[in-house]
Amino acid sequence: MRHQNATAYRFLAPYLLIFAIFWVWPIIDSFMISFQATRTVPWRFAPGFNWGRLIGDPAFFNALKNTLLILVIQVPVMISLAIVMAVLLNSPLLKARGLFRFAFFAPVVVGEVAYSAVFRLMFNLNFGIINKLLNSVGLPSVDWFSNVTPAMAVIMIAVTWRWAGYNAIILLAGLQSIPEDVYEAATLDRVSKLKQFFYITLPLLKPIILFCAVLSIIGTMQLFTEPFLITERGGPGGGTETLGLLLYRQGFRSLNFGYASAIAYTMAGLAIAISLVQIWLTREPK
Amino acid sequence: MAAVTLKNVVKRFGVFEVVHGADIDINDGEFVVFVGPSGCGKSTLLRMIAGLEDISGGEIAIGGKLVNDVEPADRGIAMVFQSYALYPHMTVEQNLSFGLRMTGNAKADTDRRVKRAAEILRITELMKRRPRQLSGGQRQRVAIGRAIVREPQVFLFDEPLSNLDAELRVQMRVEISRLHKELGVTMIYVTHDQTEAMTLADRIVVLNGGDIEQIGAPLDLYDDPANRFVAGFVGSPKMNFLAAKVVGADGGAAIVELANHGGARLRKPLADVPPAAGTDVVLGVRPEHFFDAGQGDCDIAVKADVAEHLGSVSYVYANAGANAGANIGANTGQEELIIEREASRHRANGDHLVVSIKAGRSLLFDTTGARIR
Ligand SMILES: Nc1ncnc2c1ncn2[C@@H]1O[C@H](COP(=O)(O)OP(=O)(O)OP(=O)(O)O)[C@@H](O)[C@H]1O
Ligand SMILES: [Mg+2]
Repeated sequence: MRHQNATAYRFLAPYLLIFAIFWVWPIIDSFMISFQATRTVPWRFAPGFNWGRLIGDPAFFNALKNTLLILVIQVPVMISLAIVMAVLLNSPLLKARGLFRFAFFAPVVVGEVAYSAVFRLMFNLNFGIINKLLNSVGLPSVDWFSNVTPAMAVIMIAVTWRWAGYNAIILLAGLQSIPEDVYEAATLDRVSKLKQFFYITLPLLKPIILFCAVLSIIGTMQLFTEPFLITERGGPGGGTETLGLLLYRQGFRSLNFGYASAIAYTMAGLAIAISLVQIWLTREPK
Repeated sequence: MAAVTLKNVVKRFGVFEVVHGADIDINDGEFVVFVGPSGCGKSTLLRMIAGLEDISGGEIAIGGKLVNDVEPADRGIAMVFQSYALYPHMTVEQNLSFGLRMTGNAKADTDRRVKRAAEILRITELMKRRPRQLSGGQRQRVAIGRAIVREPQVFLFDEPLSNLDAELRVQMRVEISRLHKELGVTMIYVTHDQTEAMTLADRIVVLNGGDIEQIGAPLDLYDDPANRFVAGFVGSPKMNFLAAKVVGADGGAAIVELANHGGARLRKPLADVPPAAGTDVVLGVRPEHFFDAGQGDCDIAVKADVAEHLGSVSYVYANAGANAGANIGANTGQEELIIEREASRHRANGDHLVVSIKAGRSLLFDTTGARIR
């Protein structure tokens, strides 16, 4: 046994080594860096320097506010949409199920730059299809990228488009694990389809919905691509700057790694805290 | 309470027809069992009565009312599923009351019905538990309870006991029988277990490949099956089928020679005109209808291969025999026979055994399986 274990670990060693260098060490190192003043070389240990700044930094609170705003609006909307999509996908009336499943999943594998470029084009003030559609039903054009509220909306729409199908596929797997005869029993019990959805499907799907919600919360806390590429680095005027973007700005533009690390740990902490609250709120009643 | 009538009911899945025109009349308050081998269409038939499966042709009436286009919930039926189909996230109490609560039934009435169902099934102490905290038998009771709460005119059961172990199955069988007496409503019960069918049914419907082979009281099917399929299906262990040939007639009786038993002959009186000499036939003899040598009308000798001793009876599995004289046939080893002996506790291997067949305790079939009476 001993010998076999040693052999196994030798096979695993290359992976473990890379994992330690590129995952474990950065996690530990960034934690330590967050306690160092990194504005000037040499870096020095100053616990209050970054964490103290964080507490009073309006840019941080702006980014935090934007991130949480996106989180509380986009995640519930997307999960609800994903549930509806999953239920439709699961319907026996649906033809070409495989095609839809692929179509729903496709946005995830589209390159981020291409996807962002397409969204910028779609929401372009003068020749974007969205404004053309608005005009065609008699509504005025919206200058999507010059005002904060429409810009935030674009980000939420883009993120939802990208991830709703992915969540729908996960939820579909959950739906398919609910036995058909439970619904048949409910039908015989004279329970309407709508009530079956609310009183049977949703409760039985709860663990999967929770899983999707936690996944989405973690994803949204780290939101970076969309504000970086679609609203051009958190524009207009920082109106869509997220924590992810602030981190990038501090770390890789200003090379202030200490502060960036503190932001990173704040993001991770918040994601964990919100997820725990979510899990606690939806726990099984004893 | 209601009678259930099926008139020429057909079911097709695509082009594949699985029920070929079923006619069944079920009386008010009757306990009818659909029985047949796997895939013969029992569940399909039941689900059509429930309305969970639509009908490709024919008519179904419940309580005199045509229900072809009536929603399942409005047919006055309740169904108990093989897999129980309990709502996993609800307590037993919630499972029982769910349907009534969802349809806005008065709370006092709901409580009364739930309480009564729980008392009938003795699950009152389990009311706060969830299905996964129950044993198979308890789950089955809850499933039946959920049906009782609906106060249906007709109960439908689809193999409700097949997930239970043998002992519990017997116990629940008795419970269902008791329930039928207590409630006095029509019950339709699907099973592939002929023992369940025999013990529970007022009448049995034997199905085979989407056709109804016979409908009748359990003992009528046992004593007087319409054909070889029913004869083989009803009774346990299965009836033995011996290859035979008509060699002559003797006033209203056919003289039948057993092909694999060295020419042993049986005089079998018939109501109809006996088949012509030379006709191949099949003689059916139940394991319990072999008698001691000389006690019947025709003796055959067999060699026991294996014997199962159950205490009260023994089953001897035999398929090779030895020649033993005059009207005693020698088994040529083609036909396996199952012979019931009353607690003879024979040693099995190689034992020679002479048993006797009585004309009155055997059935004659033609080669297509139809009875020759
Ligand atoms: N949804 C369906 N689509 C196509 N064929 C079906 C469908 N449901 C059942 N069948 C076919 O109909 C026939 C009868 O099925 P059914 O379920 O009624 O059998 P059963 O007698 O209940 O068998 P078992 O004892 O195994 O439950 C089978 O040949 C089955 O393959
Ligand atoms: Mg079945």
